Amino acid sequence: MKKIKIYNLAVRNLRRKYIRTVVLLLIVAVVTGTLLSATIFISGMKNALRIGTYRLGADVLVVPAQNEAQAKAALLAGEPTSFYMDRSVFEKVAKVDGVKKASPQLFLKPSSFTCCYNVDVFLIAFDPKTDFTISPWLEKNLKKPLTDNEIITGREVPVLVGDTIPFFGTPFTVAGTMEPTGMKFFDQSVFMTMDSAYDMAANSKTKSLQPITLDRDKISAVLVQVQEGMTPERVAIRIEHDIDGVKAIASDEVISTVRRQLAGLLKGILAISAVLWGLALLMMGFAFYMIVNERQRELGLLRAMGAKKGHVFALIISEAVIISITGGVIGMAIGSALLLTFKKLILHSLKLPYLLPSAGVLIELITGAVLFSIITGLLSSLLPAVSASRMEPYEAIRKGE
Amino acid sequence: MIEVKELSKTYSIDGQVFRAVDNVSFTVRRGEMVSIIGHSGSGKTTLLSLIGGLTKPASGSVLIEDRAIWSMSDDELSAFRNRKMNFIYQFSSLVPTLTSLENIMLPTAFGDYGEDVAGYARELLALVGLKEKENSYPSHLSGGQQRRIAIARAFINRPDIVLADEPTGDLDEETEAEIISLFTRMNKDAGTTFVVVTHNKDIAALAARRLKMANGAVTEISGG
Repeated sequence: MKKIKIYNLAVRNLRRKYIRTVVLLLIVAVVTGTLLSATIFISGMKNALRIGTYRLGADVLVVPAQNEAQAKAALLAGEPTSFYMDRSVFEKVAKVDGVKKASPQLFLKPSSFTCCYNVDVFLIAFDPKTDFTISPWLEKNLKKPLTDNEIITGREVPVLVGDTIPFFGTPFTVAGTMEPTGMKFFDQSVFMTMDSAYDMAANSKTKSLQPITLDRDKISAVLVQVQEGMTPERVAIRIEHDIDGVKAIASDEVISTVRRQLAGLLKGILAISAVLWGLALLMMGFAFYMIVNERQRELGLLRAMGAKKGHVFALIISEAVIISITGGVIGMAIGSALLLTFKKLILHSLKLPYLLPSAGVLIELITGAVLFSIITGLLSSLLPAVSASRMEPYEAIRKGE
Repeated sequence: MIEVKELSKTYSIDGQVFRAVDNVSFTVRRGEMVSIIGHSGSGKTTLLSLIGGLTKPASGSVLIEDRAIWSMSDDELSAFRNRKMNFIYQFSSLVPTLTSLENIMLPTAFGDYGEDVAGYARELLALVGLKEKENSYPSHLSGGQQRRIAIARAFINRPDIVLADEPTGDLDEETEAEIISLFTRMNKDAGTTFVVVTHNKDIAALAARRLKMANGAVTEISGG
């Protein structure tokens, strides 16, 4: 048998009062779990926003003025929508001062999609001649332009490369799938050329039970890249000034909308976390005060045997750290499981983009949560540990009688 | 070995100063067994705690091997206690979460005793007649067995001094006799110095010197 160590004493003490230990573990678990799942959630939203806006590649989105809300809902929540304006808007936008590049897009909402009935697929058609958002991806990944009967899909559309899917009676072959972005606008969309979309609409009258009417002079939106030295907001104001009946949405505006929602969410989560943390500190502090009080004689006896103040301090702190780490790990496991289970429900109600942070960020967040739980344990037990170590051995033995 | 000089300890109770130990002086030679008798509340336990460095005197000093223990830092005094002395109490002083063997080994957790202290702990366990209770927890031991484990623990660090406060209180005669025999053996064979606070006449009779304590003051009644 080896020598007894302070750590063994701490573990045995925690086992002795297992109900109290379980309650303390739960307190730490709830606080750490809440904090970790909240930070992963917010980090995931920021991640999605960063990647999504980068993928959008446009500084300004010009849509019909009356469809501004639908366009924002499509961008942020990926809600399929259809609205149209005259193609002349594209030519007018291209001529506005400060516009470097402009490209039209069509948004179509398919009425049925036989293979993917549980996913709201959004059809987006782009013009390969002017496009600057999808084409760079095609050049890099497909190394060829998209042909008339080909589509590329977002990561959440449940199809494989090579599959054939009909839209409005016209079959399309999946030429590629894009990386996940966390934004439904990309992840649940199907991209095709505008010529394909117009042909599909024309053919739908004879091939589809639910035909659509789409003239070749109609577009849904114009994507704009601004010249260097110009701000998207400024160009957006010019566009709205120069062209009647349009709304120019700057990408910054979309981001700031989400940021505002995130900030509100963050404040709420921080407030809840702070209250929980404060309560946890109080409850744990009280529990350790009780632990020290009821073990006064035992601690006095240890001092009489030759335990230094540091040994007594280490014993109490060890108990707190063991509770903190164990409770923290339990909390992180439960928090992560709940987050994964209810992620879709939360995202659906918040209508915000989400992409799980990278492994590196997750490791940082988990390390932070572990450190946070340890700090909680240390802070709550610090005063009781100091007071226990400062007790005069004889007084401790006498008072503990 | 132990030199107590003009030692006093006062307590303030409801604004009144109470002298638990009042200007006490005596010496204990190496290997000597000294008993202290006296009524309850006469200050015996406080005196023992002052000698053991468990509480600070109001005035006076305690010298052990010519070292004034209250001139040491708290850590030095703790290490000194851990190396040089050990205590036996009149109450159950075992840690409930540790087995008998672990309780005996406990003082070695606070000093440098090497890894293999279990062998000596088992020897002591056999010495107090509880070899078969090695893995028993205090809650599964009788009061007498717990006291014997505590006595075995008092010798794990091979102390020069054992300070015992009513070591046989509440024990049956057979256990009492075993403990007296153990004290005698340790005193004669290992040269351990004993200062024993007791009401027990047999233990008091064992001591070469007997001190009497009343109202915080000490008088020598035999030996010296």
